[in-house]
Amino acid sequence: MKSSILRAGVVALACALGLSACGGGSGDLYLTGTVSNVTKDGLVLQNNGGDDTPVTTPYTSFQFNNRVSTDDQFNITVKSIPSNTSECHPINGKARANYYTIGQIAITCTIIQHPLTASIKNLTGSGLVIVNGSDRHDVPAGTASVPMATVYEDGAYGVSVLQQPTGQTCTVSGGSSGNGSGIMGSATEGVTVTVTCS
Amino acid sequence: MKFSLARPALALAITLTLASCGGGGKATFPINVTVSNVQYPGLVLSTNGQDVTINPPATAGQDVVAVFPNTIEYGQEYEVVPKGATVVNHVATGGALPKHQQCSPNSFPFYGTAGQLAKIDIRYTCAIIAYPLTGTVKGLTGTGLVLANGSTTGTIPVNPALDANNAPTGADVPLVMNNVPYASTYGVTVLTQPTGQTCAVTGGANGSGGGTMDDAAEAAGGVNSLVVTCVKSS
Repeated sequence: MKSSILRAGVVALACALGLSACGGGSGDLYLTGTVSNVTKDGLVLQNNGGDDTPVTTPYTSFQFNNRVSTDDQFNITVKSIPSNTSECHPINGKARANYYTIGQIAITCTIIQHPLTASIKNLTGSGLVIVNGSDRHDVPAGTASVPMATVYEDGAYGVSVLQQPTGQTCTVSGGSSGNGSGIMGSATEGVTVTVTCS
Repeated sequence: MKFSLARPALALAITLTLASCGGGGKATFPINVTVSNVQYPGLVLSTNGQDVTINPPATAGQDVVAVFPNTIEYGQEYEVVPKGATVVNHVATGGALPKHQQCSPNSFPFYGTAGQLAKIDIRYTCAIIAYPLTGTVKGLTGTGLVLANGSTTGTIPVNPALDANNAPTGADVPLVMNNVPYASTYGVTVLTQPTGQTCAVTGGANGSGGGTMDDAAEAAGGVNSLVVTCVKSS
């Protein structure tokens, strides 16, 4: 008899401890989601105006500290954005919590892009082709400037000569690495590299 | 007496209703297909002994919608795969694919039994095949070398080869850039020079680390001729 009372007591205590370990009454559902287009620190998310949660490397997902219970209203908002983005917004960020709704949350940002320009010096021959990776541009003789495709802030660029013009040799200089390569900074005007032909 | 007239009329009405439910035969199902991002000809999809050729759309970027010539009956199985593909456990390999592209079924099942779903609508999505862009880094002893293929697909750090005492040996190091899609250009540049050294890129189709992933490169399975040569900075 005594042992059965003891057993019941132990079980009840274990149950109570077990429940309190599950987040101290803050529910049993993790509020998580995916993150896209984030490359650096700075994105901070909030749920219902609190529980600040920074998104850290590798910047592909988030998880709030406080769990929620089924039917709790959650409302995820963006408190601050990384310096190289123009905006971040939640998708399916506001709902009543259940196993379906908490699996649908995403945050997506827009990374700022800046112009990349090639300044062309002394090009008299025809046939010059310059590339920035897959971004290819034919450059006719006499061209002074070529607008390349825009480049993500904090992203790499590297302009090189794919094909030399007839009778001339062109070399690329400038950019933060000096050889036509570099990392795009935050300047609005972007970067101009120089292609010099002789 | 009145009832006995009504009863045959009812029976006739039931017979007519049943007859309209399929005209005495089985329900039939057209096999519809929708293919996204077809850029080159060559794709032939096949099921139940029938073929449908999928050519690139008139307006680039649009989905191609097609239907197999004959319908199949309720209960018939179908499995839509590139013609001639080897199929193992519903995974198709090879077959008549578009040139320079790989296609795979997308979200919707590409096999089943007619009648399982109200409508058979097979979805395929094609992508341009990307080929390796690789080579060798020679004479590298410093740390910090980073290479890039323009702004396309990230940056590639390269570390020197080390001996048993973790001292750099300057031995050749394999260079593996990210794959380059067919018909795309590449131009490998040094984004960051290693400490105490200056590296220059040669090789590739144009001899200076640039080129196009063209038919010749595709036939060779990619470009493996990049050479990055590092020497002590002057």
